Amino acid sequence: MPVDINIIDSLNLFEDLSHAELKEIASLMSRIRVTEGEAITRRGDPAHSIFILLSGNFMVFFKEGRSYTLHNKGDIIGLSTVAIPFYYTGTAVALSDGVVLSMPGQELLRLIESNYVLSGKIMKKISQIVSARQPFVTGRC
Amino acid sequence: MYGLDAISAHNGWQLAALGISIVFTGLIILSLAISQIHKVLELWDRRYTYYQRIRKLVQRKHRSEATVSDPVLPKNVKESARQFKLLIEQMGEPFPLPKLLDFSKKCGLLHSHSSINDLLQAKLIIPDGKGYFFWNHEVEKNIKVSMKERSKI
Repeated sequence: MPVDINIIDSLNLFEDLSHAELKEIASLMSRIRVTEGEAITRRGDPAHSIFILLSGNFMVFFKEGRSYTLHNKGDIIGLSTVAIPFYYTGTAVALSDGVVLSMPGQELLRLIESNYVLSGKIMKKISQIVSARQPFVTGRC
Repeated sequence: MYGLDAISAHNGWQLAALGISIVFTGLIILSLAISQIHKVLELWDRRYTYYQRIRKLVQRKHRSEATVSDPVLPKNVKESARQFKLLIEQMGEPFPLPKLLDFSKKCGLLHSHSSINDLLQAKLIIPDGKGYFFWNHEVEKNIKVSMKERSKI
């Protein structure tokens, strides 16, 4: 099912992108329904897809039981898809039914590599989110 | 009467001066407008981004208006709050959320995930910022107080 470009445009990660860039991103995405208790990523698995929350609530947990929860539209799960170590560092479980957008990591990386302007816009935001979440992964808060 | 005398007699010099000033004023306005065209074009190019920013600001405003906290919980959440509080007391604080989830499943609580989500949304379970969670006694107290007040009414 094609993803509406207005949905992509309303997400914080893509807010500075042009209409053409948004169209390209939208073509790579698919909508997935998630049910309560379902895990969309598992710690240690190769990071194949990045997920963006449209609705619902998630808990992402790491070693030693550290975790954070995500409740807002636009929250991202699976950033290891485009950042080191390229395997999921946490397990993301749905705390309620919801909908996420899924994008294959390889496709996103290809797009980023082929368009340096787009790369600059997206990677800056991704690196901010990664550094904010790093303490939960490493346990060094 | 001809020549310069005729021009003077019929306010020709003043009219000429007025004409010149009108033309030059027009030229100045035109040049100022042209000098600002790049800003208009930039605004046009980024219209989509600006539109989105305005839309987000409006959405954020609506969201903040909609999330005024109400300490009254639905009945099923009150019940799960009581059950989860007991589990948390056994685990100690701060507690890991996945452990609470496992614990609640082992104890046979139904819809553990959504119950925990309800408690998180109600701010009865709050993060400590280091990956672990606390039971929020303040919110619990507020809920009890508001329940008492309602029962009096």
